[in-house]
Amino acid sequence: MKVLDPPPTSEADLIARLKAGDEEAAHEFFDRYAARIRRFIANSLGAASAEAEDVLQETFIALADALPFFRGDSSLFTFACAIAHRKVLSLIRTNARRANLMRTAPVAETAAPRETGANREFNRALGEIRPEYREVLILKYVEEIRVSEIARILRLGEHAVESRLARARKALRKSLKEE
Amino acid sequence: MDTETKETEFAARMKSAIEPARGLDDRELRNAFTARLKQVAARPDVVPIEFDGRRIEMRRGGTLLGAAMKNGVRLMHVCGARTLCATCRVVVESGEDNLTPMRGTEKFSLRWHLSVSPRTRLACQARVNGPVEVESVFPLCGELPNR
Repeated sequence: MKVLDPPPTSEADLIARLKAGDEEAAHEFFDRYAARIRRFIANSLGAASAEAEDVLQETFIALADALPFFRGDSSLFTFACAIAHRKVLSLIRTNARRANLMRTAPVAETAAPRETGANREFNRALGEIRPEYREVLILKYVEEIRVSEIARILRLGEHAVESRLARARKALRKSLKEE
Repeated sequence: MDTETKETEFAARMKSAIEPARGLDDRELRNAFTARLKQVAARPDVVPIEFDGRRIEMRRGGTLLGAAMKNGVRLMHVCGARTLCATCRVVVESGEDNLTPMRGTEKFSLRWHLSVSPRTRLACQARVNGPVEVESVFPLCGELPNR
């Protein structure tokens, strides 16, 4: 007889178990979201891989601190992205400060192009645009998060997100030399 | 080409350019996350907060200033926590909903010191109900030994 996998837990149930500090729930949360969170961090940083791993670690420790207090007023992934976003911002700020002190160019601002054949040009262009533009494009088109949720993550109004998206698309097209 | 088609095409290009999220096989991180979550959930009256990038723990319901001083973060508070000087003010980087609402005296003080913003709080007045990340506005007055 074929053994069926257990049905995936609903998010509300998962939240309740996380709040109670359930080990299985922690593993389930990690397996469900860790890869997407890492992709979000890596793309937001412009694929500065060594730093992405550090930010990922910090994000998960901050998540462990915050999850037992999560009130459930957004989805779990939005909540995790909001924490990851702040960690990314904090790293960018620290790098900028350090660069300022050293009077050199900011560290890890642009991405190393990924070797993905036809997509190389697109990735190069994505790496060239400003980090906040890259981040909003990733959230909207790769993670497929609604504008209202993106507004929560970035702590902006919905209109501000819409206009940032428009500017980001324009910047990307310009970088692709399509405009 | 209409806007919707353009948008769909753009989304498809973005998706194909970004590598799909593959499973993350980092047992060390998974175990560290699980252990930390269990530890925090086991003590609901202890709240982990981040003060100027330092991770500290405090009693739920205590003030940010009290937590800072107890943990060796020497936050300036010239008036002795009476809302007059606003030298203990902090910028809340995250978790502002986890702080008690602002009362009249705090609002008045921040307005007086031209610092009214939903993210600026007086550490002597804001009480903590959940994790927050704050940055002090004024420089710290040196380091206190941990008590």
